Order: sequence, then structure tokens, then C-alpha cells
Amino acid sequence: MQKILLYLILIVAYLGLSKGLSPSEIGMDYVPNERGLAKVFTGENVSIILIDMHATGFLIKTYYQKYRIIHGFQGIEEVIVRTSRDFASKNRENVGLSIFRRGDSGEEILPMPPGANFIGNRGFGEWRPNKYGVAKWRFYRAYKNLPTYLGWGKWSPDQLFHEEYIAFKERNQPYFGSNKEFGTKGTVTQKNFPNFFKPERQKRIDVKTFLLKYFRENF
Amino acid sequence: MNEIFDRLIIRIILVVFVCLVIYIYKYAHMLFYPTVKQQVTKRFYPAENPADTLHLFSRMVGFTIILSSLGFDESHGIFLTIFHFLVWGILTSGLYLLSLFIIESIVLYNFEYKDEILKRQNMAYAIICLSHSISTAFVTKSVVNQSENSLVILFILWLLSMVVLGFGSKYYTFLTKLNFNSLLTQQKTSLALSYAGFSLGMSWLISASFDQEHYDITMYCVQIFLKMLLALIIYPLFKIGLDLIFKTYSYAESPGQAPSDPNQHNWGYGFYEAALFLSASILTSMIVNHIQFGTIYPFF
Repeated sequence: MQKILLYLILIVAYLGLSKGLSPSEIGMDYVPNERGLAKVFTGENVSIILIDMHATGFLIKTYYQKYRIIHGFQGIEEVIVRTSRDFASKNRENVGLSIFRRGDSGEEILPMPPGANFIGNRGFGEWRPNKYGVAKWRFYRAYKNLPTYLGWGKWSPDQLFHEEYIAFKERNQPYFGSNKEFGTKGTVTQKNFPNFFKPERQKRIDVKTFLLKYFRENF
Repeated sequence: MNEIFDRLIIRIILVVFVCLVIYIYKYAHMLFYPTVKQQVTKRFYPAENPADTLHLFSRMVGFTIILSSLGFDESHGIFLTIFHFLVWGILTSGLYLLSLFIIESIVLYNFEYKDEILKRQNMAYAIICLSHSISTAFVTKSVVNQSENSLVILFILWLLSMVVLGFGSKYYTFLTKLNFNSLLTQQKTSLALSYAGFSLGMSWLISASFDQEHYDITMYCVQIFLKMLLALIIYPLFKIGLDLIFKTYSYAESPGQAPSDPNQHNWGYGFYEAALFLSASILTSMIVNHIQFGTIYPFF
């Protein structure tokens, strides 16, 4: 009995010390849910885009998410945080979406296309017709890098997108774009956040293929 | 041809030099073990006292293990190389002897070299000293390798290794069914074999824990400490696992009988425990040191 007790104390001591002294535990924030984002990311005019997520571990998983933080008037930064299982599974379809925004109208946690809150704001850009006469949103020169930061690439929103965004926001529903351009299954997201969609990260390999590949490479 | 001949001469000079360092070591031995003065200064007859022979020459084996960690860099010239080897040879031999002195003071505090080796010719005591010599040599070699020619790092790592070895040696009483002091007094070789297996296994585990890249000495020491703590958790699991796999009984007078002899006088039991401890240590070292979890996974 005494030996078992000693053994349990050893396990507890090891776990406690490992957690306290591990460099991966130091300096990495934990975001349990949407509300946690507001505490971790402070400051005005912030839009947080989920750009990658990753789970490690065999039986007890640890979940990580990578965010791109876009400040209205400054540059961008990318941050990795640990999250809860619920929050990770909730955001499985939200890669490439803005999952938290803070602006003049307060804080929003509804997943929306990145930068949708900038559209229609005359401080950032204006509607200009393209060669087919369709009005498209264009950022001013001062914000010319924003489409790249937001993961738009060559895509630019039209007025229908903006109206649908407002309608979904009022109904408190997540919005993925007029043609589902954003989110994990979105074409624009897949093109502009290629790291998450690398084939080797997505494909599930069956045992037969794995064994064939293993023996071919090693023997 | 000239160059090849020159290199051969350099090698022979270095062989002579290494022998000189061992000669110095022989006398340095008296600093920590004044009672061995007779062994060192007078003519030695190996067949006269086997326990004494084992005791003295096990230290020589240990010292050569440590010397093997030092290398020669001929690009700086032979005199600088010899000087470097001499400085580090003296330093490591001093550390080695001090380590042995500390470990034997911890483990064999109830026993005197003079009584056990010179008077009683206790082979069990000599085997335990042999295991100490070799295990301490491996740990010191690991420490010297990791110190990367820095005296400060060498001192810090040596202190850490001594703490780990000292506490580790006390772990033996938790693992064995043999009574250390009583069986050593009775000169039972089963105890000596069992302890030798444990001691060598422990040195394997500690050396493997020290053998890793380091950039920040504090973090490196923390890692070693955590690894040793983890080893304390994993080691009993292997020991119990091996026990269950081979369905061993402590001691049975005839097949089918329950364990009856608490003293475990038998050599077989000593071999069994030695093999068990050594195997468990090597397997523990594999689990503790040789699993890579990738870059983002927390530390261990």
C-alpha cells in the first residue's frame, strides 16, 4: 500500500513539474471558447482569422489553433494557442473565417468571412464597378495589402455578398459566402491558406497502402 | 611514406603518454583511498587476494573508460594536444575518484575496505566495488562528453550526476528482496550480483539521460531531472512486467512449492535479479530517451 502511494505521488510530481517546466506550456495561451479570445487578444479594431488547426496526442488529444490577427491600422501577426476539444470541433468547418472581431460596434463572435466587417466602411474602401459593370469592393491604397492578409487573393466581394453578410449577421447565423467561398470547404480559403490543405495533412492512408509504401521505401 | 611514419610515431608517443597518465592516476588513487597505499607502492600479487585484485583493477578499467571519452586533435600540434589531454585527464580522474568515494560512502557506509578486502577477502564487497567503478565511469564519461570543454558546465553536471547517482543507489532497497547489509556481511555473492546488475542498469539510464544536445544549461538540468523522475515511474512497470512474463518465484526448494527462503543465498537468484534490473533499466532508457513526439507536442 505504501509503495502504491509513493508511486502515485511520483506520477503526480512528474505531471506537475512537467507542466510547470515544459517550454511548450510556457508562453502559449489557452482559449477554451469564443469568449476566451476577447481576453487573450486585446486592443481596438481586431479581426481574428482561424488559419490552421492541429491535434496531437494518442488517447488524450491536445488541440492547437493558429490565428492571423489583423489590426485595422497596423500589420498582422500569427499566434498559436491551445484550445478545448469542444472549441476545436466547433470550428472544424471554420478555417479561413474570422471567428472574432472587435470594432466600433463592439465584439462579435459569429464566424464570418474574413474582412466582411470592413466591407461597406468608407474609411477602408469604396464600391467600384468592374468592366462588366458589377460593383466590387476595393480597398484604398493605404490598405492595399488587406486582401492578401485576409486570404482573399484575387477574389473581391460584390454588393450581394455584403447584403447576405448583413442578413446572416442579423439572423445570428455563420456565413460562408455567396458561393461558399470561405470556410474549410471554401474555394477561396483552400487557395489562399494552402498550408492547412496540404495533401499529406488531409489524406487518410489505409493500412495496405501504408505497408506497401513502408516496405518499398525501407527494403 | 614520411607522413605515415610520422603519424605512427605520434600514435606511439600518445600511447606512452596515456600510460603516464594512468601511472599518475595510480598515485592519485592514494589521495582518496589512503588504505590502499600498500597496494600501490609495493609489488602486487594478483593471485594472493582475488578480492583485492578485483577491487584495484576494476578502478583501472573505470579510469580507462573515462579516458576513452577524451580525444586528440592533432591539428593544433602535439604539445598542445598532450597538454590538453593531461589537464583533462587529471581533472576527470580526480572527479572519477571523488565520485567513487562519494558513492561508496553512501552505499557501503557500514563497511571498511581494510576489513572487507584485506582481512576477510570479501568477494561480494569486491564485486559491488567493481560495479561502482564501471557504473561511475560510464556516468562520468557522459558528463565529460556533455561538458564540451567547459569547466563550469562540467562541475554543474558532475554535481547533478552525483545527486542522481546518490539517490538512485538508495532506490535499490525498494526493488530487491535481499537484505543488503546482512547478506554483504555474510559474503553472499547473490547480493553482489543483484546489486551489480542494478548499479550498471542505473548508470546506463543516467548516461542515456545526460546524452542529449543542450543549449541552455538550466533547461538541460531540468530535462535530466524530469527524465529521472519519469524513469522512476517506468522502471517498476518493466520490472513487474518481466516478473509476470517469466513467472518467477522468489525461491522454491522444489517445483510447485511456494517461496520459502527469505535469505536468497542462491547464486541463481542473484543472476536473476541482476538480469531483471539491467533489462528493466535498458528498456526504461528506451522509453524515456528514445521516443520523439514531434515539435509541437509538449516536452516528454
